[in-house]
Amino acid sequence: MKAKSKTLPVSYRLAVTSRVLAAVFGGYVVTALASVCLTLWVPMARAEAVVTGMTSSFLVYLLAVIWCFACRSASRAWLGLILSSLVLAALAGLAYWMERS
Amino acid sequence: MLLALLLCYGGFTALCLSMDRHHADLLRRKLSSRSRQLFRVAGWLLLSVSLWSALAVTDWALGLVEWFAVLMLSALLLVLLMPYRPRLAVALAGISLLASPIAAFAQY
Amino acid sequence: MKEGFRQAMAWLHTWAGLTFGWLLFAIFLTGTLAYFKDETSHWMQPEIPARSVSSEASLALAQDYLQQHAAGASRWIIELPNAREPALSVRWQQSPAKPGERGQLTAKLLDPQTGREVQARDTQGGEFFYRFHFQLQMPYPWGRWLSTIAAMVMFVALISGIITHKKIFKDFFTFRPRKGQRSWLDGHNAVGVLVLPFHLMITYSSLVIFMSMVMPASILASYNGDAKAFFSEVFPATNIMESAGKPTPLPPLAPMLEKAREQWSGGQVGRVTVNNPGDANASVVLARDGSDRVVHDFGSAVTFNGVTGQLLAATPAQPLPMAIAGSFYGLHMGHFAGPVLRWLYFVCGLAGTAMIGTGLVIWLGKRQLKHAKSGVMPFELRLVEVLNIASMSGLVIAVAVFFWANRLLPLEMTERAGWEVNSFFIAWGLSLVHALVRRGRTAWVEQLTLAALLLGVVPLLNALTTPWHLGVTLITGDWAMAGFDLTCLGSGLFLAWAAWKMQRGAETEAVRQRSRPITLEQEAN
Repeated sequence: MKAKSKTLPVSYRLAVTSRVLAAVFGGYVVTALASVCLTLWVPMARAEAVVTGMTSSFLVYLLAVIWCFACRSASRAWLGLILSSLVLAALAGLAYWMERS
Repeated sequence: MLLALLLCYGGFTALCLSMDRHHADLLRRKLSSRSRQLFRVAGWLLLSVSLWSALAVTDWALGLVEWFAVLMLSALLLVLLMPYRPRLAVALAGISLLASPIAAFAQY
Repeated sequence: MKEGFRQAMAWLHTWAGLTFGWLLFAIFLTGTLAYFKDETSHWMQPEIPARSVSSEASLALAQDYLQQHAAGASRWIIELPNAREPALSVRWQQSPAKPGERGQLTAKLLDPQTGREVQARDTQGGEFFYRFHFQLQMPYPWGRWLSTIAAMVMFVALISGIITHKKIFKDFFTFRPRKGQRSWLDGHNAVGVLVLPFHLMITYSSLVIFMSMVMPASILASYNGDAKAFFSEVFPATNIMESAGKPTPLPPLAPMLEKAREQWSGGQVGRVTVNNPGDANASVVLARDGSDRVVHDFGSAVTFNGVTGQLLAATPAQPLPMAIAGSFYGLHMGHFAGPVLRWLYFVCGLAGTAMIGTGLVIWLGKRQLKHAKSGVMPFELRLVEVLNIASMSGLVIAVAVFFWANRLLPLEMTERAGWEVNSFFIAWGLSLVHALVRRGRTAWVEQLTLAALLLGVVPLLNALTTPWHLGVTLITGDWAMAGFDLTCLGSGLFLAWAAWKMQRGAETEAVRQRSRPITLEQEAN
C-alpha cells in the first residue's frame, strides 16, 4: 500500500490559489485587452468591429485559463499574463494613436 | 431529415465495424485489413452523402443544423444499443441502408 | 503540477467540473425544459384554447383592447399568437422608465378570437424554467453574471475534457455497461463526445448572448464610453422619441403587418411595440418572429410612423459579424425548430445534463472507494454527496412539485404564480435537508422514488383536476397537452428504473460487505 500524506502542503494550496486568481482575474484583463485590440485593428465598420472583438474574446479567455494551469509554475502563469497584457495594451495604444493622428 | 438520419446511422455503423474491437463484438469475426479499409471508406462516404442530402432539401443553415442533429442522434442510438443488442444494432444499419432509396424518393 | 499538459488539464477538468457542476446541472436541466416552454405553459394554463387566427385579426383586437384600457400609456407591447403560443398577449407601460431602469409593465392575456381577457389561472408557466436558467432567481443583473460565469467554466471544462480524453477516437463507440465505475466513465464520455457539437454550440452561444454585459471593453474603447451609441447602431429600432404631449389618433395597425412582411420577403411578425400611442410622436415597431430562420437578425425590426402609418426605415442588410452573433443567438434559442428538431434539441440538452450529472457521480465515486473500508466519509466527500443528491434528484422533485402546485393550488389564490414558484424552491430545500439526514444511497433511492411517483402520476393528477386529460387530448389532437402528460409519465418510469437500479446496487454492496469478513478469516487461517 502506498504511503499517502494526509493533507496537502500549504505551498501547494497557495500555488493553486495563485493560478486560480491568475486565470480568473488576470485572464479577464488579458481577454478585455485582446478584445479591444482586435476591435481597433480589424478593418471593419465600428459596430461590426466591436461585435467581432466581443464574440471572439472568449476564445482568448479559454487560452489564458489553459495557460495558467498548464504552465510549470504559478509565477510563470502570472508572468505570461502580464507580458501578454503589455503587448496587447501596446498594440491597442498604437491603433488608438494611429486613429487620432 | 429521415434520409440523412438513415445514412448517418449506416455510416457510423460502418465506421464502428472498421475498428477491431467492435468488429469482433458485433460480427464475431476477425477484421481483415481489406475489410477495415472498405468499412472506413463506406462509413465516411455514407456520412458525406447524408450531409449532402440534408443540405439539398432546405436552406444551408437549417440543413446544417438538421444534419448535426441527426448525426448526434444516430451516434447516441448506435452506442447505447450496441452493448445490449449488438445484432439489432447491425441489423438496423442494414435496414437503414435498404430503406434509404425509399426515403430519398419521398424527399424529392 | 509538473506531470504534463494532459494531466494538468485533467486536474482543471475535475475541479472546474466539481465546483460549478451543481449549478450547471440546474442550468442545463431547466434550460432543456425551456425548449418546451410554450407547451409547458399551455399545460399549465389549459383554459386558453389553441386556435389558429390570422395575425391581422389578432392585432386589430389587441389594438381595440389597448385603446380602451391603456389609452394614456407610454408604450404598448403586443405579442401575436403563433403555432406554439396560442395566446395573444398585451402589455403596457404606463409611464416611461427612468434612464437605466427597467419599466413597470402590466400584462394581460387575450383570447385571439374575441379580444377579451382570458380567465386563465395565474402562473408563470414554462417561462419560469426559461428565466431561471439564465437569471437563477437572483436580482438583475447578478443572476445573469453568475450564469455567464458558469458558462465560461463549462467551456473550460469541455475543452479540458477533450484534451484529457486521450482515446477520444479509439473509444468513440465504446460503452461498457454493468462494469461499475468504468461504465459511469464510458457513459460520461459517450454523452459528452457524441453530442459534442451541441455542447460546444450551447456553451459558446450562451457567452455570446451576454457578451455586451460581461465583455464591454470593446464597446467602451470604440465609442469612448458611450455604450448607448453602440446599442442604437446595432438595434436601430430602439431609438424612441419622447412624448410630444399632442394627442393624435393612432392609425389601424393591422395593415402594417403586410408592409413589414414585404421587407422580410415573407417572414412573420412576432411582436408589435407602439411607443407613445395616440401622441404626435408615436412610432410602431414590428419585430420579426424568430421561427422562420436560423440566424437571428437583431436589426430586422421595421419601424412605422405612429401617425401617418408610413414606413420609416427599411431593414438594412445584416453585416457578417452581426450575422455570426445572430447565428449563435438563433442556434441557442432554437426558435426556428419544428417539432422533430425541437425534440432533438431536448434530447441533446438532456445529454448535456447527463454529462454533468455523471461527471459529479464519478468524481465522488472514485474518491468514495478509498474510504469504503473505513465506512466513514470525510466531511468534504459527504458535502459533495449531499450536494449531488440535492442538486440532481432534488431538482427533479422540485420540477415535479412545480407541476403539482399548478394543479392543486386554488385558482383564485392571490399571488398564485408566486406560490407555484415558492413550492418549487421549498421542495428543493426540503430535498437538501433530506439528503443531509439520510445516508447516501438511501437518500438517492428515496428521492428518485419520490420523483418517479410525482412525475409518473402527473397524467392522473391532470385527469382528476381538469377536463383536459389524455382521454380528451389524444382524441382532439392537442399534442402539446398530451405530449406533456406522456413525457411526465415516461420520465416517471425512467426515474423508477433508476431508483430500482440504485436499490439493487445498495443490496449488492451490502452483500459484498457481509461476505468480506469471512474471506479475511479464511486467509488468516
